[in-house]
Amino acid sequence: MVFFKRFIVDVAYAVQTSKGYQKKKRFFYNLLENDENKYKKYFDSFMIALIFISVAILIREVKHELHYHLVFFNSYVISIIFFIEYLLRLWVYGSVSQTIIKRYEYDSYLGRDFNLSKALGNILNFKLSYVFSVRAIIDLLAVLPFFHELRLLRVFILFRVFKLFRYTKSFQALASVLGSKKFEFLTLAMFSSIVIFVSSILIYVMEANNPKSPINTLYEAAYWSIVTISTVGYGDITPITDEGRFVAMLVIFAGISVLAFTTSLFVSAFTEKLDEIREMKTVEDISKIKKFYLICGYEEVAKEVALSLRKKHKNIIVMDENLDNVKNAKNDGLMAVNYNPGSISSYEKLNINVSTQVESILCLKPSDIENVYTALTVRSINKEINILSLLINEPNRKKLEYAGINEIIYPQELVGLIVKELVGQPVAFEAIHELRSEESNINIDEIVVTQSILQNYAMIGELDNKRYRIIILGLYKKTNEDFYFNPLDETFLEEGDYLLVIGNKVFIKEFEASLHKKSLI
Amino acid sequence: MKNTTAFVFGFNNYASEIIDNISYEYDNVHIYSLDKEDEKNEKYDIRSFDLSDEWSEMENLINSQNHIAFCVLEDDAQNIFLTISLRASFKNLVIVSLAKNKESSNKLEMAGANKVIPIVQNTADIISNMLSKPIATKVLHSVLYEKSDLKIAQIVIENEEYFKREFPGDIDWSRYRGIIVISIMSQDLSREFIYSVKSKHKLLRNGDTLVVAGYEADILEFEKLIGGKRYVNWSNWSR
Repeated sequence: MVFFKRFIVDVAYAVQTSKGYQKKKRFFYNLLENDENKYKKYFDSFMIALIFISVAILIREVKHELHYHLVFFNSYVISIIFFIEYLLRLWVYGSVSQTIIKRYEYDSYLGRDFNLSKALGNILNFKLSYVFSVRAIIDLLAVLPFFHELRLLRVFILFRVFKLFRYTKSFQALASVLGSKKFEFLTLAMFSSIVIFVSSILIYVMEANNPKSPINTLYEAAYWSIVTISTVGYGDITPITDEGRFVAMLVIFAGISVLAFTTSLFVSAFTEKLDEIREMKTVEDISKIKKFYLICGYEEVAKEVALSLRKKHKNIIVMDENLDNVKNAKNDGLMAVNYNPGSISSYEKLNINVSTQVESILCLKPSDIENVYTALTVRSINKEINILSLLINEPNRKKLEYAGINEIIYPQELVGLIVKELVGQPVAFEAIHELRSEESNINIDEIVVTQSILQNYAMIGELDNKRYRIIILGLYKKTNEDFYFNPLDETFLEEGDYLLVIGNKVFIKEFEASLHKKSLI
Repeated sequence: MKNTTAFVFGFNNYASEIIDNISYEYDNVHIYSLDKEDEKNEKYDIRSFDLSDEWSEMENLINSQNHIAFCVLEDDAQNIFLTISLRASFKNLVIVSLAKNKESSNKLEMAGANKVIPIVQNTADIISNMLSKPIATKVLHSVLYEKSDLKIAQIVIENEEYFKREFPGDIDWSRYRGIIVISIMSQDLSREFIYSVKSKHKLLRNGDTLVVAGYEADILEFEKLIGGKRYVNWSNWSR
């Protein structure tokens, strides 16, 4: 027995430390459970397609003879796929090896013999907790049509429809909405049951002894009660005695209140949860964006910056604790969230990965205090991220620098510099202003030198810019962070350098594309 | 050529930055504020004024040809009223006005400002360019606004013979080492990129302005070659 236990522990350690095994398990876990996994949506779509095919076959089967292959596909192929999925879910739910190791280490620590049966008990416990979960039961029932020879089991195909809950978020949201009003729905169910029960008995007592009455059994009485209370009232069964009609009047009044109660419950549940559902959707959408600019505070400058960046096809997310500002941002067609950018929990709740997802943080509130607070919050999460901020009062500049803000924009200073250039060289200023303007056809742009460009061009002189009527203003060297104006033809290009070019927008694009192809001339 | 006098109407942070940046260009800078308290300012000589003034006192002070006025009142409505008042009194005065947003910017242009600087728009453009074209923005910022050997200058041609009736697009500008010609502004005030289709078929004439980038020494040499000179022609600012 000791050897067996030793063997079990060794196997558990081997499994736990096996990179290949863990990698596979992680892959299947992500595929089945992780919404952020890029393959999950394809897997879910595939399963949803199987469900609809299955239901379509069931409907077709009612009045038509099905081809053998179709029956085989429905009964075996789909069932086996569902069964494999069931087993995979059971597998990735918790870790057997980890439970054994945990128990072994716990017992060793206390100087006791390894209690294998306790470890197995724990494993059985958590695996059974999965097996008896509603979702797992639905999954298992969806496999039952495999035994299609038993006609009754074919109906279980409909359980496959319930599997849709697993693959679609909106169904889950609906379930959570209804779940939030559990107590109210329970009260409604109790009230309706009592009304149905009492009215069924009453109508049965009043009508059953009358030979002309269509209500002869308790079942018919219950059927009549439910049809009446739901305000459907088919009219196939109606009371004929005065007493019975009196009961009917009471049931109709009760029915109206039940219906009103039910409707108000649904409406209030959705109203209360609507914002939460929208927020869940926003969080989900944000997690799907690979790179974006995070604008903290949405007022005048932020609005213009967002518009300008959007024109350049950049992803933007606005974060503001002021609800009106968030509404304005949404009205402007931006993705906006009502969170405080100065709070770490906002980034956690929104599941924002500052280091990988955010290109730059823009603190654009018209308050130095709030911008410093936001900058320090972001800095405490990530030391490297680029932070740009507005400076409202010049004496606060040092505080912004101390908060770790990389770029400080002081509008008053900008105006001073602009005026200086304007009064000195208006034509040159206008020319440069035009080059920077997105509206103009002639632009200044930067082209990053990539490995692909270097394979075709090694020196400035080799570039074919004249053909595209493009001026190479200079070369920004990444290695020493220097700008070489009007570089000589013999200047070597290096990966990561930037070419600063002036020319027609379209020609610049064509020129950039040409750099990646070997010149034929 | 130095302009003689600049008038700054309004006294605030924007005005301070403007005064600091233009004082080298003008012999006199007169500052006017709506707030009488500003007259006590020790750093600047500030006089008070009222928007209902008839400007008769200033008529003797302001010479429309060479003077410039900056309207930098914080309230956009007041700034527009100030601009229109100045324009009504001084037809040829160059007026530069600050606007908070695009809406005010349009109104200021209608009120007769020669140049409007929309603060929010400019700040946003700078931020947006810093993010999308960081290198280009950094280089242009240092060339335009910081003390750098590299300069962007406008040079008026005074010796058209030098170009031997060549079209701008055909001239090998690389023969002027160190100089890059970016655009041309013709006497009819149309501005064209050096390689645009129009400039390809338009001869360079005396009075045309070339916008060039280069180091100071190279620009000076280029000026000598084309017999041109750097100067500011305010008439280029059409209303």
